[in-house]
Amino acid sequence: MAQEAQAWAEKFRKATESDPIIQSYAKYYTCDFLLDMEELRVGVQMRDGQVHNIEINPAPLEPHQFSLHAPAETWRKMSEKHPPPFFHGMWAASVREDLRIEGDITVLMQNLRNFTAQFELLRQTGVPV
Amino acid sequence: MAKISPVIGRYVTIEVDGLEYRVFWLENGDGPPLVCHHTAATHNHQWRHLLEDEDFTSRYRIIAYDMARHGKSDPPSNAEWWKEDYRLTADHFVNFVTAFCDALELDQPTFMGSSFSGCVALHLALRKAERFRAIIALQAAEYAPGWWLDWWRHPHTNAAQVCSSGVWDMMAPMSPDNERWLTLWYHMQGAEVLKGDLHFYSMDHDLRGRLGEIDTAECPLVMMTGSYDFLTPPEVTLATAEQVADCDFIEMKKLGHFPMSENYPLFKPYLTQALEIIERKAGA
Repeated sequence: MAQEAQAWAEKFRKATESDPIIQSYAKYYTCDFLLDMEELRVGVQMRDGQVHNIEINPAPLEPHQFSLHAPAETWRKMSEKHPPPFFHGMWAASVREDLRIEGDITVLMQNLRNFTAQFELLRQTGVPV
Repeated sequence: MAKISPVIGRYVTIEVDGLEYRVFWLENGDGPPLVCHHTAATHNHQWRHLLEDEDFTSRYRIIAYDMARHGKSDPPSNAEWWKEDYRLTADHFVNFVTAFCDALELDQPTFMGSSFSGCVALHLALRKAERFRAIIALQAAEYAPGWWLDWWRHPHTNAAQVCSSGVWDMMAPMSPDNERWLTLWYHMQGAEVLKGDLHFYSMDHDLRGRLGEIDTAECPLVMMTGSYDFLTPPEVTLATAEQVADCDFIEMKKLGHFPMSENYPLFKPYLTQALEIIERKAGA
């Protein structure tokens, strides 16, 4: 499981840094966020459009600015190539399903265009749960 | 040879509640007028495919305008609008649509609106049934609270990116990339007015308890919603349609909140179905 998660992290890093949509906007894309997938948590640190670090199951006090929380099954549905209705994005799943967005929403909004594109890369990389 | 579109654009000056607006519209086709209104914070390019579709322009005069403050239609020319916090109301919205139709001397137009203009379509059906041949309300509900948010116009964020990213999820993920990005692009251009538009959508628009007053015998009403629209899911629109006597409801599969713009080939058969219903009920 740990090895698989690390392999996924590397895949997600490469997908982010090679994604032309993100890189076309990403000059100031800098933030720290947590993806809580129930069975596993992923901490991501972005710096100027590059992945500074991805940590699987970061320590409880490891800081982040905003976080997304959902059951593993929700993450699996959101990462399908063609997700079912209301699992097709962060907003849709938080309004109609069981995704929760917490933390400093201002930071999320400041980075929203890039984060939205990066979130959709899960449809390419899948999720580690 | 140059590819010149048959669509033409013109301006008309109208007065609405004492405010003077120079309104831009696009049109093409011959026949009974079909007046099309864009969604919040965008403009008439959302109807670009319909405006050039000969299957419809051969039978209808398709008219798609930019609401005041959107696209090429400016804010009021006789008011210091820059000193006010723009907040659209149901009354002003209804009066704007009818003043525009009057200015163009449209006789019994069919009105088609989407999202916030789908909601005003319900107000038109309720208040102005005698003025319209039929109403098509896309992505509409009797009540749509919760979206009059400061995030749409916040000094610490990039409004264009926030507004456009906010609508990204409203489209079906399988809609073509180029069409989804154009739809997003239109929202980037209109970000400054989104909050004011949504004042109508989430605050002033509330038809709960009034839908039974809509007379579909005088003005047929068709409601349509995309299956991927998380803002107004099919069950929400259906719940509205069920309160209106003889209102037709169509769920549009694999479409989101911007069906005419995000995936026109999928939208076209649903629009055909809606217009067939109207032809049957309203007559030729």
